[in-house]
Amino acid sequence: MTTSRATAQLPQRNTMRLRGKITTAALLLTMVIVAVVMLYPFWYIVDNAFRGQGQYDRQSGHSLGGWRQLFANLPVGGQLLNSTVVCVAAIAIILIVSTTAGFAFAKLRYRGSGLVFLLVVSALMVPLQSILFPEFVNLSNVHLTSSYAGAVLVYAALGTPFATFLMATYYRGISDELIEAAVIDGLGYERTFLQIAIPLSLPAIATVTVLQFIQIWDDLLVGLFFLPTNQRTITAGLATLSTGRTTSVPSLMAGSLISAIPAIIVYLIFQRHLVKGLTLGMGK
Amino acid sequence: MARIELDAVTKQFPDGTTAVRALDLAVGDGELLVLVGPSGCGKTTALRMIAGLEEVTSGTISIDGRPVNDLEPRHRDIAMVFQSYALYPHLSVYDNMAFSLKYRGGVSKAQIRQRVADAARILELEPYLERKPRQLSGGQRQRVAMGRAIVRQPRAFLMDEPLSNLDAKLRVQMRAEIAQLQRSLGTTTIYVTHDQIEAMTLGSRVAVISGGVLQQVASPQELYRRPANLFVAGFIGSPPMNLIDARLERAGEAADGAPVAAFGPHRLRVPQEVIREHPALEQHVGGDIVLGIRPEHLHDAALIPAGTSWPVIELPIRLREELGSEVHLHAAIGSAAHVSEDGSADDVRSLATIVAKADPRTKIAEGETAAIAVDASEVQFFDRATGASIRR
Repeated sequence: MTTSRATAQLPQRNTMRLRGKITTAALLLTMVIVAVVMLYPFWYIVDNAFRGQGQYDRQSGHSLGGWRQLFANLPVGGQLLNSTVVCVAAIAIILIVSTTAGFAFAKLRYRGSGLVFLLVVSALMVPLQSILFPEFVNLSNVHLTSSYAGAVLVYAALGTPFATFLMATYYRGISDELIEAAVIDGLGYERTFLQIAIPLSLPAIATVTVLQFIQIWDDLLVGLFFLPTNQRTITAGLATLSTGRTTSVPSLMAGSLISAIPAIIVYLIFQRHLVKGLTLGMGK
Repeated sequence: MARIELDAVTKQFPDGTTAVRALDLAVGDGELLVLVGPSGCGKTTALRMIAGLEEVTSGTISIDGRPVNDLEPRHRDIAMVFQSYALYPHLSVYDNMAFSLKYRGGVSKAQIRQRVADAARILELEPYLERKPRQLSGGQRQRVAMGRAIVRQPRAFLMDEPLSNLDAKLRVQMRAEIAQLQRSLGTTTIYVTHDQIEAMTLGSRVAVISGGVLQQVASPQELYRRPANLFVAGFIGSPPMNLIDARLERAGEAADGAPVAAFGPHRLRVPQEVIREHPALEQHVGGDIVLGIRPEHLHDAALIPAGTSWPVIELPIRLREELGSEVHLHAAIGSAAHVSEDGSADDVRSLATIVAKADPRTKIAEGETAAIAVDASEVQFFDRATGASIRR
């Protein structure tokens, strides 16, 4: 009886093995397709950034023609600096507001804090496009559309709800006893925040920094609307390249490459923290 | 060192839950007082109020005679050891221990180094000072938490179940270490635990709390031998005290006119010396009471010393448990078990059985009806209506 059962199990085991192999192969194929779809644009940018217009039309040969045209038509250095200033200022505001607010929502109980948190988080649902014109009118009224300040404030306002949500979630994962231990050890809540909460939330801070950096650096709309021509970001500057009668694809690709590099570098530096920050605070 | 007093301290949470009701407690200078009770009884809330982590709804908490209700935790000069140890994970062992001294100020760097070194030596933490908490074992982390409290040289230690995250063996070892440390430092300590063995072995006095109400404060021996009420009687001791609903009757058969406690088919004569010790019992004759008999006061009648005149009852044995140094005999009493006020009754009691902690030489086997001698002088009596012990 045992022998016949063992014999019957053999074809079943083989079928299962075959099914496992097919599943793995299908998964691998899907991943390769996804990787090609994701990486091809990068390859396209790199390949065509190093061509002149004629080489691009013929799709043969490489040169620095595109780069020369880019630097001739666009103040690349200045616009990279503009992007950096806007990014750094906006992220600084986002971090100051989100860490303090997140800590307060997570660790300091007060009447109505749940409702306030809900209101802050509900701002996540508001799309940028719907508030663009009202914001432009508001900021024009207070003369903030002729400098970095307008764009910085808009970016900070757009990024703060998500950052606050992330920080509050992260701080909730930190044991209350740890905060209470610091309070008993002689720190007030302010110093507990600075000495204990901030060092412990570095992964979450890194996550907010990376996500906001990528979002603000790559954003076009706010840069075009709220910044004067001489303070445009690199993304907004690149957009103007394609607004002429003829568009030089190689110079556009060269600009895109320059524009993408800082975001990639920031991502690679903080990648480890990014994953940790997104998963920590969600429980054990 | 400090004297801590709680005067009618009550804590009511915003949702209406009353965690602590009119708690009166005085902890002497240098004393180790243990707060013990089941989960949710309010013992940790009481400790947190003393620490200043919870506001007091009414009543007064005083340290050395000075009310501290409105004083911030950092100004109370007390140290707390938490259940989770609450070590700062980003700091080394040294920095964890020195943390409070650094931020409180008034202590030089050299003094901080000296104090941390002293505490590390006492707690055998010297090899681990540069490590982060995550690189330590549970016992070592517990020691660091103790060290962090010690270096401050506070007026009092508050300990909230500091051993509950350790395994059983380490818990016993650390329990002894904490007791020794407290005695050598002589710092006033309030220790919260739900473990009655921890409470009995550590505390010079033990305060039993249930439902936010203080049930009894006494020495471990006093708690065990003279529980103030049914809750303390059932909570302290393992296996717990056998609590049996009975009726106190004036029986004609007793030559000395002593009353008899009747339960099921059994009648237990209450000796005159017991009546003398519990004079209030006379007022309960003809009424319902609860008998409390510790398992070690029930003996195999065949093994009791010659000359003892303990009353004997015949009980069917349902279960025999071998524990090596003793044998637990579960016997049916043939009447309803006592059900506590909150309606709970553990398995043994709900099955109307009692447990006898018998001599390991006993030959009594499962299924047989055995003669069990009751050391009547140790029997406790409780008012069934109020649950209070009947004494004077």
